[in-house]
Amino acid sequence: MPAKCAINYPRYRFSESISSILLAGSRIEGSERRGVVIHVWKEERTTGEKRSSFSGKELTQVTSNSTDGYVIRVLKDGGMSSVQFTKQADAERAVRAAVENALLIARNIERPIRLAKTELVKDQFTPELREDPRQVSMEEKLELVRHYNDIPLGSDKIVTTSLSYQDVIREKYFINTEGTEIREDLVTTRLSGEITSKDGNLLQNVRVRAGGSDGFSTIRDQEDHLEERTRIAVDLLEARPVERGVYDCILNQSLSGVFTHEAFGHFSEADIIETLPAMREKMKIGSKLGSDVLSIVDDATLRGQTGFYKYDDEGTRVRRTELMKGGVLAGRLHSRRTAAEFGEAVSGHCVAEDYRYAPIVRMGTIFIEPGAHSLDDLLSMLGNGLYILDGKGGQTAGENFTFGAQYAYLVKGGKLSTMVRDINISGNLYQTLEDITAVGNDLVFSKVGGCGKGQMNIRSCYGSPHVLVKNVVIGGA
Amino acid sequence: MERLLEIAKKACDRAEVYWNEYAYNPVSFEDAELHDVETKLQSGLSLRVIKDDKLGFAYTKNLIDREEVLRNALNSLKGGMKAEYSFPLTKEHPSLDTYDPSIERLSSKTMVEECDRVCQYLRSRTDGEITSTAFTYTETVRVINTEGTDLTMRSSTYGIYGGAVYPGSASGIFRGYLWKRFEKFPDSLLNEIVDLYKSSFRVVTPKGGTMRAMFMPNAMLAFNWRILSGTSSKSVFEKSSPIADKLGKKIFDEKLTVYDDPLDDKFPGARSFDDEGVKTDRLTVVEKGVLKSFYYDLNYANKLNAEPTGHGYRTTDWGGDAITCRPVPALAHMHIRPGDKSFSDLVGSIDRGVIVEGALGAHSGNIPNGDYSVGLSPGLYVEKGEIVGRVKDVMVAGNIYDTLTRVAALGKTLYPTFSGRWVPILLVENASVATR
Repeated sequence: MPAKCAINYPRYRFSESISSILLAGSRIEGSERRGVVIHVWKEERTTGEKRSSFSGKELTQVTSNSTDGYVIRVLKDGGMSSVQFTKQADAERAVRAAVENALLIARNIERPIRLAKTELVKDQFTPELREDPRQVSMEEKLELVRHYNDIPLGSDKIVTTSLSYQDVIREKYFINTEGTEIREDLVTTRLSGEITSKDGNLLQNVRVRAGGSDGFSTIRDQEDHLEERTRIAVDLLEARPVERGVYDCILNQSLSGVFTHEAFGHFSEADIIETLPAMREKMKIGSKLGSDVLSIVDDATLRGQTGFYKYDDEGTRVRRTELMKGGVLAGRLHSRRTAAEFGEAVSGHCVAEDYRYAPIVRMGTIFIEPGAHSLDDLLSMLGNGLYILDGKGGQTAGENFTFGAQYAYLVKGGKLSTMVRDINISGNLYQTLEDITAVGNDLVFSKVGGCGKGQMNIRSCYGSPHVLVKNVVIGGA
Repeated sequence: MERLLEIAKKACDRAEVYWNEYAYNPVSFEDAELHDVETKLQSGLSLRVIKDDKLGFAYTKNLIDREEVLRNALNSLKGGMKAEYSFPLTKEHPSLDTYDPSIERLSSKTMVEECDRVCQYLRSRTDGEITSTAFTYTETVRVINTEGTDLTMRSSTYGIYGGAVYPGSASGIFRGYLWKRFEKFPDSLLNEIVDLYKSSFRVVTPKGGTMRAMFMPNAMLAFNWRILSGTSSKSVFEKSSPIADKLGKKIFDEKLTVYDDPLDDKFPGARSFDDEGVKTDRLTVVEKGVLKSFYYDLNYANKLNAEPTGHGYRTTDWGGDAITCRPVPALAHMHIRPGDKSFSDLVGSIDRGVIVEGALGAHSGNIPNGDYSVGLSPGLYVEKGEIVGRVKDVMVAGNIYDTLTRVAALGKTLYPTFSGRWVPILLVENASVATR
């Protein structure tokens, strides 16, 4: 399916509505216009969000919606502020509020806010898709989800499921007073849900995930995935709770990816450490923070990965960014504001969930670069410990992190033995970066993104090979 | 709105339009300096239609094309979602004092000055990295349906929080509060931040094991989420509630009472009708440890052959943009009844234990089953009734249907938590604590 046919929104409408807001902005500024940078994002979701959800056997939701709105941001006299609004009639009020807020900030801060220079862009970009979800009927999508949902429900140990399919088509328009004008489409497909098994009073749940950024084909042929997840949910009813304690562990790709994103990645986001002086000192470029085997990159230019995009929501082209090289901190993720603040290169990582939010620094596709070892090598190197699989949510507070895992196997003498459940890992970022002692050769990326940092980013994804980590605290239950 | 309802009525058996408009103005300080001032103005509506006992749903931000919204809603009927209920006719409902007009005159400048005061107060008394955020939130909700219901409510909320972060950690002591209008951040809360921060600056490494654990307001999420899951009619219907057959039975310690009070307009966000136009009322969920009731929206009340309790809210576990969400059962005004102990009484009663000031990973793990396993962030260690210092890499884990049968005591002060639920400090016996 050629991607070009996806553009069904005439360009002139874009220029009309969005330029009129810029005009409104400059009218308010009048002769003072010099030195004012106004950014306007408009986002139109023409096919919008289609969603069909099951809860157990029952279909709970089929919807298709389209919404739109604007974000305007003003930099004036060293203060910067943004306003998000939905009614075009509110444009003047929004610009006035943004200018007022920017001036209030300017008066109350010591160092004026600056934006790093970035190239001027005029571009329209639509991704190439393997099967455009807009060309697949609602009925067909529904049938496919129903078919997947029936797989776990076929097992008598499964009490309920929740499974939902969603495609989100974001049509983004960006324009600023520096002259940049961008139209980019982001097409995201995602199948996500949970399978719940039950035995007596014991409930276990396992996540289902599929999707991506390059079309509906990412949702097809998921039967094996559903069957595998069902088997794990059933097996977990027989698994023992893990005993709390300290273990040497192998983390599988998905779990290690969660660690990379949660524990390390967020502190590569310049806007997080910017206002934490002690952390900022510790995270200086050139600091040796991890073991020699550890290299971490964010590369949102990788086509086909869920994290793929071309321009961020400040109109900056996204760059492959090396974050850690052989354990040494090599770079970080920036907005134009933080790049200027840190005196570092722009990276194109300033992204908003949608028109309801001002953009903030986000990861695109973050991953640990693969090493030389097979999983068998890692198991022999581990000897005794735990092999932990698949993330189940996580959270960080500075150097401390906690995240859940779906299940694990006890490893004895390099061999997998009993399955265990209720795995929760807690640790210290710097200690863990040093404790990663070997990296596998089997890099895998997550299919479904999702990062909440005040706002959701369904495109932020992660990857990793298997890794061997010493001395991990497991909370148990 | 009315016209949309009219054209929807022609095409369906029953219809409902929900309208939501809000303005949100936050100001934030990071490292004791002004960081951001923002404004958010959002509005939109969602349409529910019922035809042949099937439900259709659609929403939009800008009502440019009524026909398109209706078409989207009619299209979603194809999903065949059952809706064997009708929308309510609600005429009489209590009038509540939810809106304080002074909120409109509260400028961002005043909030900047208040946050600055909070930052200076904390900075001069601690060596932490200081943050503070204040905001105003005004919301108008209107529900109309083809049964003749037409309800509108307007509310105002002002909130502020401040915190001292341990340098290098991004973890710290935070306190906040919510009102219907601007109020000065109370000294009692500021001093709580200062006292806890100071008493916990030294890092200690105690041994793990079974001990008393005191869950502070910010850590109560670990319990709230699991209580909300277990007592929801949705979980009961889906057979994912382990207490589905425990009505009238004791599930928690008798010191624990959980109720929902949407009508108490001392607190911001009080509601006399829910997002489906059902009249609300006070509901006791757990009384002295005994499970009294589940909470229902129209849909799950119908499925479980129960009366709706006025708990249909357009939200998700994470909050979310109301117009885009279909109503689900939500205990939106949950309270845990406070006890009679002061903070120092509670600490004094601990021979050996931890204070869970923040719970990392409260939203992870097997929530339906009641399992929790959270990192202490931060966590404090107590010995012989005194706070000894702060702990790192420590987790506390268990299952609420076990842990909450051993409530030792509850604090006497109510604190606001995420989503406007109010809780006291909770002290439990024999918690399982893991250390590195």
